[in-house]
Amino acid sequence: MVAYLQGIWRCRYFWLMLVRNDLRQRYRRSLLGLGWSLLQPVAMTCIICFVFHAVLNPDADVAEYGGSVLAGLACWNYILTSTIQGCQCIYLGESYIRQYPAPMAIYPLRTALAGTFHFLIAMAMVMVLSWCITGFGNLLVLPSIVASLAILFVVTWSLAILAGFANVFFQDTQHLCEVGFQIMFYMTPIIYPESLLRANNLSWLADWNPVRALVDLVRQPILEGRMPTPSTWVIATLTAAFLASAASLTLARLQKRLIFSL
Amino acid sequence: MARISMDRVCLTFQVRHHQRVTFKEYVVKRMFRRSVNPYVKVNALQDFTLEINSGERLGVIGHNGAGKSTLLKVLAGIYPPTSGKLEVKGAISSLFDIALGFEPDATGWENICFRGFLQGETPRTIKSKMQPISDFSELGDFLNAPVRYYSAGMRLRLAFAIATAIDPEILLVDEVLSVGDMAFTEKAGIRMREMMDKAQLIVMVSHDLKSIERLCHRVVWMDHGQIRQVGRPGEVIDAYKGWANQVAHGLAA
Repeated sequence: MVAYLQGIWRCRYFWLMLVRNDLRQRYRRSLLGLGWSLLQPVAMTCIICFVFHAVLNPDADVAEYGGSVLAGLACWNYILTSTIQGCQCIYLGESYIRQYPAPMAIYPLRTALAGTFHFLIAMAMVMVLSWCITGFGNLLVLPSIVASLAILFVVTWSLAILAGFANVFFQDTQHLCEVGFQIMFYMTPIIYPESLLRANNLSWLADWNPVRALVDLVRQPILEGRMPTPSTWVIATLTAAFLASAASLTLARLQKRLIFSL
Repeated sequence: MARISMDRVCLTFQVRHHQRVTFKEYVVKRMFRRSVNPYVKVNALQDFTLEINSGERLGVIGHNGAGKSTLLKVLAGIYPPTSGKLEVKGAISSLFDIALGFEPDATGWENICFRGFLQGETPRTIKSKMQPISDFSELGDFLNAPVRYYSAGMRLRLAFAIATAIDPEILLVDEVLSVGDMAFTEKAGIRMREMMDKAQLIVMVSHDLKSIERLCHRVVWMDHGQIRQVGRPGEVIDAYKGWANQVAHGLAA
């Protein structure tokens, strides 16, 4: 394990340059540049606030509801894009894989790091908007965001590894992921409040949903000014540990055999 | 000291008739009946036993599909052996499939960094090699353009210039001596010989029997993934030529 991580570290200049190149290619010749990655969640938040605010969360004011949706969508998009784009990560690196025996985890890492970059920008925007509207909350809880980001990063890297490997063996992986995430989106309190689930005898869906815990890791300190609850920490950490173990096992079992399926 | 040791190394490819399967097909076929898209086994290397020591230049010859390129990929660590023991001591540089692996939207300069970093260079070490690579490739201002606009020959020039900019301990070469136009091919030949002089151990695959005879100390003749003959270049190449003549006249077994 340590030797494997050292191997990844040895190639750091290579994968960092891949990430830099991906980001530059994405925003090259675009009018808004980085703004494009912010436009989608902001536009979605505006539409959702306009259409659903009165239906799903009439008790909260629009600013509070909008902030919650924006933070939720930023977190959700981070997990979603890392997985969906992760499906193609091995094929994107195929020509390198055929020439150099570098650790296979660097190709999903490329996807996860690009997603992390967009997520950090989106979260910075959420923080600024939140502070502009509701003022500075409890700044003492902000350091917890560092641990939250670390957990989220482990989750997205692991998901990219699992999706990338699965897609090499099963060509419908991306399609299945899209369907699965669509279902998950409506089961997770992102555009509606958690209280709506509890009011309808669906507390178990809120309690045991790992994505809810991952979203709350950033939503609670930034928007509510409080530390994530112990149960949120536990579920999020267990989710990250489970996915990291599954990804490590996949790498250990399939990394060497993968080349035969490319 | 560079060294390669192969002890009864086997490599079996498992390929499917129809490329990849869907998850649905996998689950359903496993549950109800035998898969209609089964694996087919191909023995690419069989009981390959060979020792190559520091200072040696080994040539590998054989007909198309004999397993020569597969052997190099096993030595480079790209294909894991299915069974047997493989030991490789020394830093490897491989010259095969060199035209693959360019980032098409990145410039030639950026691609030099990509390749360099993957070969173990750091930003500091690659900096000193950028200009020599540029000079050798003779691509001039084209290096400022995205690689997607390069011709196949230009890509090959750049790839060769990058791949040969390092000093390897073990050099694995697969048919790269014919690079680009005639003038560049000559230049590439000189660079290859320089590189061969520096490398401690070389394994070279080629259909150019004259080059193999001139450059190698020992030659392996491969046939269907197995060693058919190994020995001095002249002897093995003559035997191979004799066999090839017989095949051409329909006499070989």
